[in-house]
Amino acid sequence: MSSPATAAAPDHGHDFEQSKFMFFVQIAMLLAVITGLELVTVYLPFMKWLLVSVLVVLSTVKFMFVIFYFMHLRWDKVFCTILFFIGLVLAGGTAWALLKLFGAEASKPLSAAMADPPAIVSRIA
Amino acid sequence: MSTAAIATIDHHHDPSTSTGIPNKKLLMWAFLASDCMFFGCLISTHLIYRLHPPPGTLPARQVFSIELTSFSTFILLMSSLMMALAVNAIQKGNLRSMRWSLLTTIFFGCIFLGCQVYEFRNFVYEKHLTITNSILGTTFFTLTGTHGLHVLIGVIWLSGMLIYSFTGRLSEKDAIDVEMMGLYWHFVDIVWIVIFTAVYLLEYI
Repeated sequence: MSSPATAAAPDHGHDFEQSKFMFFVQIAMLLAVITGLELVTVYLPFMKWLLVSVLVVLSTVKFMFVIFYFMHLRWDKVFCTILFFIGLVLAGGTAWALLKLFGAEASKPLSAAMADPPAIVSRIA
Repeated sequence: MSTAAIATIDHHHDPSTSTGIPNKKLLMWAFLASDCMFFGCLISTHLIYRLHPPPGTLPARQVFSIELTSFSTFILLMSSLMMALAVNAIQKGNLRSMRWSLLTTIFFGCIFLGCQVYEFRNFVYEKHLTITNSILGTTFFTLTGTHGLHVLIGVIWLSGMLIYSFTGRLSEKDAIDVEMMGLYWHFVDIVWIVIFTAVYLLEYI
């Protein structure tokens, strides 16, 4: 999967080099802006699930920009993408399974749980 | 470097291997895929135990400094930009530009490490969050410390490459070595993107 951009490099010479430089700078600026948006997001007075979803989407966008452009996956052979995504999917799956099995709320220390008991515990008491 | 030489090297395809991918690059992608699983486990362990602060201390939200962490994130993103420019420069045979880009990347990497050392000192001496006094401390320091160790290894690798470039043995033909190092450095950046959201920002919601 050799890219047209790579193949065209020698023909464009200095202009192409300059445009690739600007392209990387633009990507970096975009990443900085997304980081700023993430910071603003956490202070917005919206529902928690909505804010978490927005943060996950913004982080995923940053992640994809870095791997596809800075890490050249966009121009490399597709096998590199498959190889990396195998690890990513396994990592994501493991994280998802662990969080489902041992949620943060479920593993709250007993002292903290007693201080803030769920409704059913209050009723029994 | 002549234009003819540039035209003959395709940095994204190696006809001498059965996959068409340079072996070094394939090795690095396989390593990064395995490192994803390593960090995936560390991050999920922290998310599970993040509600276990040391007894009698402030919650994580009041312990963390969002300003410092945001600055570190910005610095690491900019170091990724410089690394991408270094790879681009060596692929064009521009050694001088590559050296400046590598030097800037090393500088940004050192700033990131300095911020992390400052943060750790602040947590231990001011906020009384240590690696042994709570599960939150254990998971937090293990995760961010492991990431910091990756950054340190990256800085050492970058410095070695910078010194090697002055021996005259590094040319456009060896761009794959710089690209491999770049992949590692960008990986460190993407792991921090996840840590920044999952460990720090999540506490502010």
